[in-house]
Formats: sequence, C-alpha cells, structure tokens
Amino acid sequence: MNSRSTVLPVLCALLMLTACAKPPTEQIAAAEKAVSEAQQSGASTYVADEYAKVQGSLAALKKEVSDQDGKLAIFRDYGKVEQLAVAAKSDAERLKAEATKKKDEAKAAALQAQQVAQEAVAATLALVAKAPTGKDRAALESIKADAEALKASLNQVQMAIDTADYPVAQTKAVAIHEKSQAVSHEIEAALAKIGKGKPSAAKKK
Amino acid sequence: MPGYGLRITSIVLGWGALALAGSLPGCVEAVPQDAIEAVENIDRDLMQLRAAEFSPNDYAQFAHQWMALKSRVQADEDLIRWPWEPNDLEIALRRLQEEGAHTVTRLTKERETLRHSAESKIAQVEDRSRMMTMQVSGIDSRLVLGQKPVETDLLMKQARAFYEQGQYDRSLDAADRAAQNLATQAVLLSHELGRYANRDQIVGWQQMAKDTITWSRIHRASAVVVSKADRVLTLYRNGQKIVSYPVRLGFNGIREKRYQGDGATPEGRYRVSSKRGQGQTQFYRALVLDYPNEEDRRRYRLERKTGQIPASRAIGGQIEIHGVENELMAQTLGCVMLENTQMVLLFDRVEKGTPVTIVGALHEQNSVAQTLEMLGVQRKET
Repeated sequence: MNSRSTVLPVLCALLMLTACAKPPTEQIAAAEKAVSEAQQSGASTYVADEYAKVQGSLAALKKEVSDQDGKLAIFRDYGKVEQLAVAAKSDAERLKAEATKKKDEAKAAALQAQQVAQEAVAATLALVAKAPTGKDRAALESIKADAEALKASLNQVQMAIDTADYPVAQTKAVAIHEKSQAVSHEIEAALAKIGKGKPSAAKKK
Repeated sequence: MPGYGLRITSIVLGWGALALAGSLPGCVEAVPQDAIEAVENIDRDLMQLRAAEFSPNDYAQFAHQWMALKSRVQADEDLIRWPWEPNDLEIALRRLQEEGAHTVTRLTKERETLRHSAESKIAQVEDRSRMMTMQVSGIDSRLVLGQKPVETDLLMKQARAFYEQGQYDRSLDAADRAAQNLATQAVLLSHELGRYANRDQIVGWQQMAKDTITWSRIHRASAVVVSKADRVLTLYRNGQKIVSYPVRLGFNGIREKRYQGDGATPEGRYRVSSKRGQGQTQFYRALVLDYPNEEDRRRYRLERKTGQIPASRAIGGQIEIHGVENELMAQTLGCVMLENTQMVLLFDRVEKGTPVTIVGALHEQNSVAQTLEMLGVQRKET
C-alpha cells in the first residue's frame, strides 16, 4: 500500500466530516424560547436594558449562522454559534427570573397600596354616612360627591392591576389614599362644626 | 568562498528570525482594553438615562451592535491579526463609542426637555385647577362638576408621583389627562350654566323682574326679586327699590330646580303662600313660596316622561325665604336664606300673596357669565 492510497481516504473522510457541519438548531431554538419566555415574564419592562442586550445577542447569533451558511460547506464552523446560543439562553433565563421577581415585587406593592386605598375610602364613606340628614347635610354634599368619586376611582386601580400595569395601579392607589384622607379630614371638620348646631328635621325641598 | 556564503546565509537567517520574533507579539494583539471600556461606559450612561425605557429603539440599536461586537471580541479568531492588517474590530468599537456618545448627548437633551415639559405641564395644570376651584366655588357650582374635580386631583397627584420617580413621559401623560379633565369641566359648566351667558335668557329674566316691579307699582304693594347669580334679594314697594340683602341659596342653588333633593333653587314667578313667625319655623322666620307652580309642574312632567328625571324622584316643595337656623350653615337645601336681622325686616314688609320672582341673572355681565368666559379662555390656553 503506497502513501497516496492511505492519505486519500483520510482526506475524503475529513472532507465529509466538515461538509456535514450544521447549525446547532436545538441550542438556537432553546435560546430563542428562553428569550421569548423572558419577554413574556415582563423582562422588556422590568429589566429593559438587559433584555435589549439579550436580544442583541440573539441577533448576533443569527448573523453568525447566516455568515457561516454563506461559506463553502468545507469552511463552515458553527462552534461560535453554539457558544452564543448557550450564553443567550443562560442570560435569558437569568432575566426571566429577575423580571419575575421585580414584577412580583411591583404587584405586591400595588396590591398593598390598593388595600390601603380601599381602607381609606371605606373610612371616608363611613364618615359620610355618619353625617346628619336634613338641612345640615347640605354643606356635606360636595364632600359626599368627592367620596363617591374616590370609590369609583378604586375600579381604575383594579383595572390597572388586571392589565399588570402595576406602576399606574400603585400611583393611583397612593393618590386615592392621600385624597381620601384629605376628604376625611374635611368631613371631620365639617362634622365638628355641625355638631355645634342643633339637628334639623328632614324636609321636602 | 563556501564559508562566505554560509556566513551570509546565517546573517539572513538571523535577521529573519529577529524580524519574526519582533512581529510575533503583533500577531496576537488583543482589541485594546480601553476601546472596550469606553463602550462599556457608554452602555452604563445609557442605562443611567433609562434609555431602554425612554427611547427603546435607540437603546436596542446600540445594544444590538454592542452585543455583535462583544461576541466578536470573545471569539478567538478576532483576537489574532497580522500587524499589516487593519484592526476592523477596534475600528468598529471606536465607531460604536462615538455613535453611543452622540446618542447619550441627544437622549440627555431629550430627557431634560421631557422633564421640563412635564414640570411645566404639572405647574400649569395645578395653577389652572386652583383657579377653577376658586372660580367654581365663587359661583357655588361645585356640584355641577360631579366627580370630575376628584378625578383631576388624582391625575395631578399621579403626574407628580411619576415626575418624582423620573418617569417623565408617564408624568406628562397624566398631566395631559388632568388638563383634558379640566377642559371637560369647563365644557360641563358651560353646558349646565350657559343660560347665565345667554342674552335671550337674560332678556327673559329681566322682563320677569320688570313685570314684578310693574305689578308692585300698579298694586302699590311689595314685591321681591331674587337674582341667583348676584345672590341678592331686592324688596320693591310701589315699584321702587326699598332695600337689597345678600342671600344664600341651595347647595346646588345655581342650577334650576328639577326635582326633590337636587339642592337647586327654583326660578320662576312665585307668591308668598304663608308666613311663619317665631316658633312656627325652625329657621327664625319663614316666607313659604307656592313652589311648584304650574310651569314647574309642566316641566317636571315633561322631564319625567322623557326619562330626564328618574321615576323615583318627586317634584319637591317647601321652598321658603327664611332666616338662619345655624350660623355655620353656608347653604340651604334649595331655599333662599337671609341673615336673621334682615329676615325680620323683610318679614314685616311682605304679606301673604306678595310676588316673589326668582331669576338666574339680571345682567349680561353676571358672575356666572364672567366665570364661564374666563374658563373658556383658560380652556383654549391649556
């Protein structure tokens, strides 16, 4: 057996091996899935800059696949693609966890603010209900309208929570709480004044 | 000679080896660390500016390029170049740094502009809201606005909260909605109280008052005219003005009375149907009016029929001109209230059957019309 007959099969085998290099589709798909899951968990909102970067990594990965696909079969090397896919997947999974944590925190803060606002509005409405009927109630009519408005605004907090817009829900709830307290103070002051006068009988007007 | 040739060969090989050794570090030259750090700094600046939230497209563009270059930096083949080859990666990093720096400068300016816009808008809306509260309070029309003032207040608080959190776009959005809400309030007031600025309506009211004064002159008797916009009651005798007193109206008195419990003070031609002296009324002294009159009943029936008044609402009654039961009371449930010292003077000068004409306004430049005009101007300015 001469040397040519030995080298030729080896070269052929090498050629076949390199010609068979294919993109790591499973890893790419896994990375894409992880990025998509991160997005669904709110990463684009709660870790927006990190999410933009992982999207950038995914874009770089796809470009690399495209670059390699454009080469002659024997020169293709998807090793870098595989590295990028693994890194993107890992980053996306980390972002998913971070976004979920931040979203849960935002939700908890919004729910707590909602509860505080609900309690404040309930206290205000209870004060309004305590107000005397008849003539003396006239001065409280505008305050009553305010209390009803606050009660109606609580629905907007719930709507924001339902659509997962927790920052809006929280700021709205805090605003309702503050306003509700102010209205309660107004009612207490009005009741204190009214208490000095004698109560009136309800009359047709 | 062979020795000479060998020496030359040795020299050539020696210099060659030296040149090769000299050039070897150039073959493995990494991307300059300062170029990477410069882009990392730009990235930090952009994150500090919250560019991903504030200008997502700009940040995405930067992040895509940065990640593409970073992947090249990390790849082994990009770290090796021949000394005579241009360092494309370094050039690309420097370019990204330059573009990023421009983006940072632009976004900083844009963010500052947005912050300033939000701050100005909040201040403008807060001023406008304060003005409106004062003006609305001045014409006792708070109840006309229903829940709107609280909605506006909540939006302004939200705008302030978002501003303090550095979320200027959301702050501006909330402030804009508060401004829209204020504009809606102005429209609502104009719709509900526009008759105070309607010349034909005012001419009609003036005619009602004139007729009442004429009746006083012809019958040589007392007559009373109440102007709701001016909150003034005027007593006439023999067609001559005797005295004017300031009055307080219903808690929703600026409106036209439509049904029981609406807090409005009726407008129309009435008569004193009975007098209640001390001990006969809780309000010091009272002149009971014959509300509802035939015109009130006709309007009430029509509005009930068209569904404008709920079926559960009665037309109401017991509208009086009376004194003060409790000095702390600012308003009535729909009556006309005078100070007790003035009430006693009026009480002694009118009889059962005395005409009492209540009108919205007697002059085109009445307080409600002026307020509506001011609010209209402010609405256009906002």
